[in-house]
Amino acid sequence: MTLPPSEPASSPRPCVSALSACAGGRAVRKMAASSSGEKEKERLGGGLGVASGNSTRERLLSALEDLEVLSRELIEMLAISRNQKLLQAGEENQVLELLIHRDGEFQELMKLALNQGKIHHEMQVLEKEVEKRDSDIQQLQKQLKEAEQILATAVYQAKEKLKSIEKARKGAISSEEIIKYAHRISASNAVCAPLTWVPGDPRRPYPTDLEMRSGLLGQMNNPSTNGVNGHLPGDALAAGRLPDVLAPQYPWQSNDMSMNMLPPNHSSDFLLEPPGHNKENEDDVEIMSTDSSSSSTLTTNSAAIPGKTSSHWRV
Amino acid sequence: MAAAVAMETDDAGNRLRFQLELEFVQCLANPNYLNFLAQRGYFKDKAFVNYLKYLLYWKDPEYAKYLKYPQCLHMLELLQYEHFRKELVNAQCAKFIDEQQILHWQHYSRKRMRLQQALAEQPQQNNTSGK
Repeated sequence: MTLPPSEPASSPRPCVSALSACAGGRAVRKMAASSSGEKEKERLGGGLGVASGNSTRERLLSALEDLEVLSRELIEMLAISRNQKLLQAGEENQVLELLIHRDGEFQELMKLALNQGKIHHEMQVLEKEVEKRDSDIQQLQKQLKEAEQILATAVYQAKEKLKSIEKARKGAISSEEIIKYAHRISASNAVCAPLTWVPGDPRRPYPTDLEMRSGLLGQMNNPSTNGVNGHLPGDALAAGRLPDVLAPQYPWQSNDMSMNMLPPNHSSDFLLEPPGHNKENEDDVEIMSTDSSSSSTLTTNSAAIPGKTSSHWRV
Repeated sequence: MAAAVAMETDDAGNRLRFQLELEFVQCLANPNYLNFLAQRGYFKDKAFVNYLKYLLYWKDPEYAKYLKYPQCLHMLELLQYEHFRKELVNAQCAKFIDEQQILHWQHYSRKRMRLQQALAEQPQQNNTSGK
């Protein structure tokens, strides 16, 4: 630690006598407070703490100033005494003693400053160490955070996977049943059009009017008209082709298969609002009908019926 | 004894109800029938709407395996929405659905025909490339 240079001589100095008076005053004050000199020494030579707000640097500077002043005074006194007779014999000694004293203080302050410098250096080293550890801790924290995130993602995905496994297990159906069902619905051309189908063929992917009337439901309302189908409605009229079996039992009524099957119990009064949400929300309608046509947009299959590519029934 | 008899009649009643509901739910696959129902105002009846909601049990696999026309389930789902029910009053709507259904119905047979055509073209290509 380098000490600041002493006050340069370029600064304007008041007249020496005033200075000497000032220095003398200070010296006198110091001498007067010699009883508290020890305290002063403690204060000066004490620890790092700056109790009264005087830093070591300031103290050093003031000591330097005092030294300078005192030495000047001494030199002037000596110079004067060369010309004049020794009038103030004692004062020389006083100033000299003050000078020596001040010098001693200065030396002590220097030692103190040196110690402080060493300690400051140590402090810096320690601070660097602390910084390094701090950055280590921060990096560790970052890594922990990353690890936590990754683990959380992994756990979440694993949970999702488990959920989907559970869902799949719940809806598990034997493959045989599925194949049987596939045979049933395909053989009767219910989901796939017959290869010889042409427009005009009365067969449809849904039960036609004729079939509906011939079924159990139809028979219930018309017990008298048994098997007599008067006029065939439009969709079964063309081409004059009637369904192969005009029996009252159609395969889609599944009489024999479903002997042991029962519908879920219900109260016969459907006027009671069942618990559950009402699908009145129109937004859902737009989202729901993505593959099938929604009521306001048109999505046709690849082979559109000619001439009807943009039917829009909101006239 | 009376209880057993009662249960039997109950059972028979339930079986009949099962058949009727099976038929009815499959009738819903017919858009013309839906149009018919809409025009007669059945869809405005609260009890009917609740009945449609009750019919959703046909979606369970143990019931669905009895359906010959599985498209009815999709129609049933759509019928849960009031918007759809309102739209069905228009004959044009029903006609459109009908057309789309038939087109979709023909999807697989068309696909098969295309595959056959592609297969038929392949040996021809091989012959031409060989030469």
